Amino acid sequence: MFNKVLIANRGEIAVRIVRACREIGLQSVAVFSEADRQALHVRHADEAYLIGPAAARDSYLRIDRIIEVAKRSGANAIHPGYGFLAERADFAQACLDSGLAFIGPKPSSIAAMGDKAVARSTVSAAGIPVVPGTEGEGALRDEDLLRLAPQIGFPLLIKATAGGGGKGMREVHDLAEMPGLLHAARREAEAAFGDGNVYLESLVEGARHIEIQILADQAGNTIYLGERECSIQRRHQKLLEESPSPFVADDEDLRTRMGAVAVRAAEAVGYLNAGTIEFLVDKEKNFYFLEMNTRLQVEHPVTEMATGIDIVKEQLRIARGRPLRYSQEDVQFKGWAIECRINAEDPYDGFLPSTGQITQIFQPTGPGVRVDTGVYPGSEVSPYYDSLISKLIVVGETRAEAILRMRRALEEYIIIGVRTNIPFHQNLMDSTRFMAGQFDTRFVEERFLIGSADSDKGERPEMARQIAAILATLAAHRETRRAANIVQRNERDTSNWKWLGRWERLQR
Amino acid sequence: MRYITTIGNHEFLVEVLDEKHVILDGKAYEVDFTSVGDQPVYSLLLDGHSYEAFIYPAGKAWQVLYQGISYDALVEEEMEKQLRMASGGFISETAEYHLKAPMPGLVVMTVVSDGDQVQKGDVMIVLESMKMQNELKAPRAGTVTRLRVKPGDGVEQRQILLTLV
Repeated sequence: MFNKVLIANRGEIAVRIVRACREIGLQSVAVFSEADRQALHVRHADEAYLIGPAAARDSYLRIDRIIEVAKRSGANAIHPGYGFLAERADFAQACLDSGLAFIGPKPSSIAAMGDKAVARSTVSAAGIPVVPGTEGEGALRDEDLLRLAPQIGFPLLIKATAGGGGKGMREVHDLAEMPGLLHAARREAEAAFGDGNVYLESLVEGARHIEIQILADQAGNTIYLGERECSIQRRHQKLLEESPSPFVADDEDLRTRMGAVAVRAAEAVGYLNAGTIEFLVDKEKNFYFLEMNTRLQVEHPVTEMATGIDIVKEQLRIARGRPLRYSQEDVQFKGWAIECRINAEDPYDGFLPSTGQITQIFQPTGPGVRVDTGVYPGSEVSPYYDSLISKLIVVGETRAEAILRMRRALEEYIIIGVRTNIPFHQNLMDSTRFMAGQFDTRFVEERFLIGSADSDKGERPEMARQIAAILATLAAHRETRRAANIVQRNERDTSNWKWLGRWERLQR
Repeated sequence: MRYITTIGNHEFLVEVLDEKHVILDGKAYEVDFTSVGDQPVYSLLLDGHSYEAFIYPAGKAWQVLYQGISYDALVEEEMEKQLRMASGGFISETAEYHLKAPMPGLVVMTVVSDGDQVQKGDVMIVLESMKMQNELKAPRAGTVTRLRVKPGDGVEQRQILLTLV
């Protein structure tokens, strides 16, 4: 049984896993790239080793170096986190071949679910409904796809077989635009996964994205931890998740049926450890298997907060050969949890990534608030890795309480130095459709307009605009006076030269 | 000092009497305005009510990010504004447009070459940053000159990638 865990990841998830290790009494080993020497996971872990240059392919994706560090440090297990090597069967296999426990499923399960086209045929053979599309295995050429497309019908989706996170995904409305989109999808998939294979899937309109978290131990017990609602997405990137789902709500029958199907899908590939079955659910509450994520997910905390089950600790226990501590009956929702993904992206500038040094953070705290983050004041947000810098999770007794709590927490959360999408979430919390739970996966792109000075709603804007006008005027007034160098001496204790330097940097 | 602050179609006459007092559209307020830790975050006490916002300089204007809403505010001294109105507004766009990298990243592909005619909205360069590919489009029609990058190049934020005439 292992006692030292190497975490083959970075950022908030590496910190999350270090925390679970520490609480359970396991030693933790971090790995880091040259860009991450100062990162939080490096500081929190018991040991940390450099594995290469900043680019992921030279560091966090280097299986050989990671395994070498495991051997050198005496780690006897590897937790892959999410992203990077988490869904690479060859990595899981390499761990096992080196005598290391892999905290996740068997390589065969990863392989079976990893190729999305193969996964679809595997589960549909087990009697699980899938969204209609190309069931063909292996690589389909553009000619084949163009021939099959009209049979599936438009609109449809091009998806990367190695896919995830919306990369290599394109929406097609007619045959004419398909060749160009195929090309773009393959190019993006090739860049993201090193595999340009794609398949087609019918686009279900008005669909929700609801997923079921499962846990499976080595004794063959598989349970589900309820559902997560993940329909709030932009360009197929999840932005907000909640558990339970307002769409499933008190429909225990639907929850039980989805749970049973998820367990069946997991068992179909002999699944072990934590995993997630993603479903598309249409307006009539029909649900279809979308894919299985054979790893811990970004949004796992909402399930943890709603059920009280620590998924990462369960992962460690399962990998150590322990039986699950919970039976299906033990799993109950104890509240309503919402997670906002805080990305270094400017929602007022087309969600463009924002990089640079975080100079200051005021983190929300108080009742029912959890922040999972890998950054702190002084951290650099580099362009090498994805833009997720933090996850803000709240739990309330009811969904209404959770929304009000999230609104409060977002207001408290101030990150200075990079732009973040916090304003996006604030707008979302004010949206009546969101409050009413009336949204599908297209909601953000089609029916949600982030507030600008021109999008008025109710009485408040007039007052808010006046406040904004006063703020801008006072800021401008101050700068005018500074520029004219008529600041009174004791008003500012730094020298004018220093100030001038800062001002010039600001203007650059 | 008297300012006219424009947000969208709304104009506000703001008179800053001294550090502690302003008049907004004829009504006087007591203010206490301070930056939080020398940062772009400002705290405003307005007749005792507490407000907090990000304020960024944005070219000639200011971006105020308050309660999740972004306000673009143009602050002009009353005189300055009158002069501008008298002279017939802003000068129209300059002839050349420099496409700058909106963020540091890697050039994935260059869709256009020197001499190409582009229409507004045409993709000119694909830039990858934070694992996402971003298409940089032409803001107006024009001819591409001085393409300065090629696929595989790493670029800094605000580096000029090409020029449109």
